[in-house]
Amino acid sequence: MKNTSNKYLIAALLIGIAFHGTSIFFTLETTYDALIHLFFADHYATSWFEPWNYKWYTGFTVMSYPPLVHQSIAALSLIGGLKFGMFTVALLAIVLFITGVYRFSLLITSNRTAAGYAALLAVFSSSFVETLHVFGQLPSIIGISVLMHALPEIYLWLKTGKWRYLATSLSLIAVTVTSHHVTPIFGMIFFIFPLIGMVIMDHSRDQVDSVKAITFKVFLNSFFKLFKRIISFGILSLVIIVGCILPYWINSKNNPITQVPIPHGSRDNFLEITSSGLVFFLIPWGILLILLPYIFYRYYTKRYLFFGLSMTILIVLGTGGTTPIPRLLLGETAFNILTLDRFTLWASIMSLPLFGEFTYRFVEGDLKTLIQNKFGAIYHRLIGGLLAGLFLFMTIFTMSLSYFKPSQPQRIEMLPIVNFLNQDNHDQWRYMTLGFGDQMAWLSAQTNAMSVDGNYHSARRLPELTTRPIERLENSKFKGVEGIGSLQQFLTTPEKYNFKYIFSNDKFYDPILYFCGWQRLRQLENGIMVWEKLNVPPLSSILPKDDVATWQKILWGIMPFLTVLIAFVLNIQMLWIRLLKTKAKKLPAYLNFQNDYSKFSSGVLKMTHIWSFILALIVCYGTYIFYIKNESHYSPENVILAYYDALDFKEFETAHSLINPKSDIPIAQYMLEISVTDGLLSSYAKLDAITTETLSRTDSLASLKVFTDWITPLEKIKRVDYKTLVKLDNKWYIQPEDIDLDLPPDQLYSSNSTNYFNQGRRRITTEETHHEDILKQPVLEILKAKLVKFENHYAIIGEIQNIDNVPADVVLKGTLYNDDNKFLATYNAKYHVNHKLMPKEVSSFRINFEGIAWSKTQDSIPKTFNPDEFTPIELEEQPTKFNLQVAGNISGSDLFKNTTITISESNDTHLSGTLFNTGIEEVTIPQLLISYYDADKNLVWVDHLFVKEGIRQQRSQTFDFPLLTNETVRVINEDMSNCFVNGLPNTAIASKIVPNRIRNHHNDEFQKINHPIYKFIKLEINTYIGSPN
Amino acid sequence: MTFKYLYISFISLLLLTSTVVVNTLESDATYTLLTTKREFIAGESIALRFAFTGDSEVLLYASNSYGSILLEPVVNDKELKFMLPEVMSNKSGVFNWQLQTTSHPISGHITIQPKSKIEAIESYLGPPSIEAGGTDYTMLVVIPTDDLDNPLADSTSVTIKHQFLTNTYVSDVMTKNGFAYKNISSETKKGRMLISSSCLDLNSKEFDVNVMPAIPTDFKIDSERIHDYADGNQITTFKTSVIKDRYDNIVSDGTFVTFFITNTAGYKSKTSGTTINGMASANMLHPDFEDQWSVKAYVEGMANSDTIVLNYKQAISDFEVAFSEDNRTLTLGPIQSFMSQRVPDGLTIKLSIYKDGMLVHQPIKDTFNGMAEFYLDKDRYPKGVYDVELKTAGIVKSYKTINL
Repeated sequence: MKNTSNKYLIAALLIGIAFHGTSIFFTLETTYDALIHLFFADHYATSWFEPWNYKWYTGFTVMSYPPLVHQSIAALSLIGGLKFGMFTVALLAIVLFITGVYRFSLLITSNRTAAGYAALLAVFSSSFVETLHVFGQLPSIIGISVLMHALPEIYLWLKTGKWRYLATSLSLIAVTVTSHHVTPIFGMIFFIFPLIGMVIMDHSRDQVDSVKAITFKVFLNSFFKLFKRIISFGILSLVIIVGCILPYWINSKNNPITQVPIPHGSRDNFLEITSSGLVFFLIPWGILLILLPYIFYRYYTKRYLFFGLSMTILIVLGTGGTTPIPRLLLGETAFNILTLDRFTLWASIMSLPLFGEFTYRFVEGDLKTLIQNKFGAIYHRLIGGLLAGLFLFMTIFTMSLSYFKPSQPQRIEMLPIVNFLNQDNHDQWRYMTLGFGDQMAWLSAQTNAMSVDGNYHSARRLPELTTRPIERLENSKFKGVEGIGSLQQFLTTPEKYNFKYIFSNDKFYDPILYFCGWQRLRQLENGIMVWEKLNVPPLSSILPKDDVATWQKILWGIMPFLTVLIAFVLNIQMLWIRLLKTKAKKLPAYLNFQNDYSKFSSGVLKMTHIWSFILALIVCYGTYIFYIKNESHYSPENVILAYYDALDFKEFETAHSLINPKSDIPIAQYMLEISVTDGLLSSYAKLDAITTETLSRTDSLASLKVFTDWITPLEKIKRVDYKTLVKLDNKWYIQPEDIDLDLPPDQLYSSNSTNYFNQGRRRITTEETHHEDILKQPVLEILKAKLVKFENHYAIIGEIQNIDNVPADVVLKGTLYNDDNKFLATYNAKYHVNHKLMPKEVSSFRINFEGIAWSKTQDSIPKTFNPDEFTPIELEEQPTKFNLQVAGNISGSDLFKNTTITISESNDTHLSGTLFNTGIEEVTIPQLLISYYDADKNLVWVDHLFVKEGIRQQRSQTFDFPLLTNETVRVINEDMSNCFVNGLPNTAIASKIVPNRIRNHHNDEFQKINHPIYKFIKLEINTYIGSPN
Repeated sequence: MTFKYLYISFISLLLLTSTVVVNTLESDATYTLLTTKREFIAGESIALRFAFTGDSEVLLYASNSYGSILLEPVVNDKELKFMLPEVMSNKSGVFNWQLQTTSHPISGHITIQPKSKIEAIESYLGPPSIEAGGTDYTMLVVIPTDDLDNPLADSTSVTIKHQFLTNTYVSDVMTKNGFAYKNISSETKKGRMLISSSCLDLNSKEFDVNVMPAIPTDFKIDSERIHDYADGNQITTFKTSVIKDRYDNIVSDGTFVTFFITNTAGYKSKTSGTTINGMASANMLHPDFEDQWSVKAYVEGMANSDTIVLNYKQAISDFEVAFSEDNRTLTLGPIQSFMSQRVPDGLTIKLSIYKDGMLVHQPIKDTFNGMAEFYLDKDRYPKGVYDVELKTAGIVKSYKTINL
């Protein structure tokens, strides 16, 4: 055989590098994983041999992910920066993948042309494009590519028994395992086992005259003959898999993944959740779906039988939760830990050789002859065009998936944040990002500051995180209420984590930050809002870490590059010979098993036609269903769904297009009406669920009851709306609603207020703040405090007053003890207190003792969680005493107090009234603090109410809330001797400033209510201003 | 065999003699301190000299407030000389030493005095704000130091000066244990106190302390309004008199005052304001029905006002209601105010719909051009008999058994 360069392979490499090499610059940074790998690379670049990383999750070990790819990026970053490293490694991955597919295809098809076609197709294969450009899984790609390079070597070792092949194959396995741990383990099962089967088949074929003569007995004989080679390879590769990343395995054993599994789209039922079906099934399979009959036909021939079996299992596993089989096959634990998309990736890669073979036969082989003879040359061309068109469509669609459905927020300029963290010792505290997406990893890579959050969920350590199925706190709103619940715990007790700064790119979280006592610091020039919390101590200079033995560190630092070096030295010689053809070389053994490409089975052709027809039917039906579901004017329900959807995503133009055109509301008017409504529901709610109930329907009129569940950062809101719809020109429209008509009496308002500014360090210096620049902490007084038991949980309730002359930010921390003074629990006041108090202002407060939600049993996580609910802490013993620590700090922000409360009606179940905004700021979310008193005017309980709608300037808003039902509150302890203000005893400090306090001064002003248990009520208001003027 | 015993006994002997030899060497060595000076001035070069016989390989353990150190001697003709490093000889205070010999450790101490020339005054003042009235105080701590950062010798006189309003006060304080301090009490007036100190002709920088007013005392309130009609639209403003503390200081800006309003029916309203120059003002929307308000303002736990009474006259005497033919549209109005003008937009009208005596729904609408319209949707209110009740501006109109 003439030994020429494979022009297809060369073309594939050139096109592949040009195509992917240019496009990675536009895609890779917005993928899910790439920036995480970049963060790991940054870790190695700064401390190669130290596996402990402090930057995420209050510290984690990078030994939880194989290091080769990260270390390669790190090494390259020393030349041209982290991103240079990442793109270079991506280019290497592309080259490795294309050549890997070529070698694997050559091994399977024994035909250079077919393998060349396979390499060309691999460049554009949608599964590869998706893995690289959408998921950004560089280690996974490198792992599978190197594994494909290893397969021919393994074949040759098993077939010929030459030691050098054992060495080369093992060296490549080592490289695979250091770049990705899952690939060699499953690759062993799905690629190497079938390969072993194929070698035994080939060996058997050598023993007999024809393929048909291979009986089970012959097969068994060959198996025993090759047994020594198989077993030696098996054991040695196992040693390599374990040995090369031994610290990884030790770490996994010491820190087993005991966390609650994180939902992943690849485990969904693809028929139910079609978006997952698209991303994890349709896209990776792409055009291969049409060829399935051919692929199965070929893989189920005798020689490839084991590949056929492996392929079948891979396909089934790749279907995720669509069928129960993957769950049964893998078992519950593995099913919930593994992401199943990798199986589809491997199945599609396994199909590539046959795809190449098919294309070869279609373009220039027997299939072409068959089709042309049967259906004519034009049909062949048409089909060819159609298939090529579909193939390219899938590629282009996959490449631009993130354009249609952005998986990440807009690119955030990190420099202002990095500068902020660097200045004024801001990196002495931990920070958190909100709404950054995977870009948080890029921020972490650029700064020395530490985050309480992280982006590699397997390494989470805090129980607050591992008990929740959330990847990051950062995007907790997408994880519904579990996410928000988890976030709330961090926001309420930030001093536990030395957590002071939040960079928010999503105003959704603003209300919860405010009500948990955070304050806006300023907006950075990139539009990111910085929030800070007062009274948080800085990080200590020595932080705890889980140290590992030095030998592990050295092994981890040296082994990956060593494996590459060894593999390079062992394989370079052969590569050299193969590429440059410096000397005539014996053909590899697998090329002796040529396939017959002279007679394409007409049965398979027929089957493929039938299958394509079925597929076409399914696609058509799917499109029809999609149309019916998404055509907004098709039915009243569709209009409602589309309308709420449009409102949820703030697509007001779309929403307006659904409104009855005859109602004569121009878009400008509509936008105006929408824009003046502010509040929890219209500005901070995300639609969680919507159901409709048709009350009546005629041909042209319909009236629907719409039940909506909204997730807001503060609580879950259920709403029932009544909507009327009309049909005009065969299209349904929604009838618009009334607007607020209230007109305030004045046009221009003036308002005087006292503003405060604390300039911090008066001298610009990097030294510690001068002692004369440190303000005195405002003096607060705890007027009342008592430990009560309400239903099944304990709380500290009371009243606090700012008795100083400056406004104060208030932090309340309660601790419970039992009779033996044993510590039981500690927590901070969340939003049952007004965190900002003017001089002499009073606020009621309540401290709930929250446990780490659902830490007991995983299955008790409620399906529908309300962020307002909390998990009461499980106390081993009865708390009988409490300690209350209050800290005040001067704060000049969020001091808007101009909202009045008018109670207009109360009965034994409800209390209603009006709030009126007398100020010149728009109140976005009003919160009422409701204190209940008994007949003797003793405080017994403090509750809260978020009013759903905001209050515009000089306008009023009604409120109505149900009074507590007959739950009794038991007061356990009213002893205030353990109350402290700024570390000093409350009584001492209070008697100095207010020696002759008028006790129960307000008592005459409580609202009397008609309730069997509670006789009086007091209302206080706390207002969140979304956009201060 | 015999050789073995021989070895053992030989080695044992050797060991025994060697220890004896060491012991004899030790006991021979003697050390005596030659340096007689026991007091030095910081910054001088200090050396401790010892006469010795025997071993010269000894170390001096030295310790003062700076830390501890082991010093090696310079051996010079039967004399050991230990030079104190500068970090230690620059530090005033007691300096302890011990010669590390195994037999007769000798020890002693010398005193290093600070220089008598002053270089800097370190002062600390806190808290930076105190309350007027004479009980609260701030403390100034002054540490005069020499150029090596040693506090000057005790009983150095420090002059502490402070100025408040028109007076300047000067007092002398002696340092003790290295520092001087003075508690400066507030007076009855608020203001800013400037504080400084001087020592040996060196003056410190200026410090300031804010004397804040004490807690407020009772005050008066007043109200202002455009008219006295209950139109539900205009705004009444409440104002306090200038709130002062018991020493006649105007309370600090931002003091929070709450106004509680009780109406005829006993329902409470609440508005609040913060003081500017002692006066707080707060607004409240007029009621939309005839009412009497009793208003009292509080600074909780500290002071309150007297109660004032405000009367609001009914602005709307009546309104008309028209039902459509199918009774499903209710039109109200035109609603007229006290001069027969149409009420300003936004007067709230509450419609209560009862079926069989049970409240079904309570829609609320605002007037527009004095009119308001309710439509009773046939899907929400199926055919049947209903009672409706309209309520606005304190006027209630009921319509029984309306057929829908």
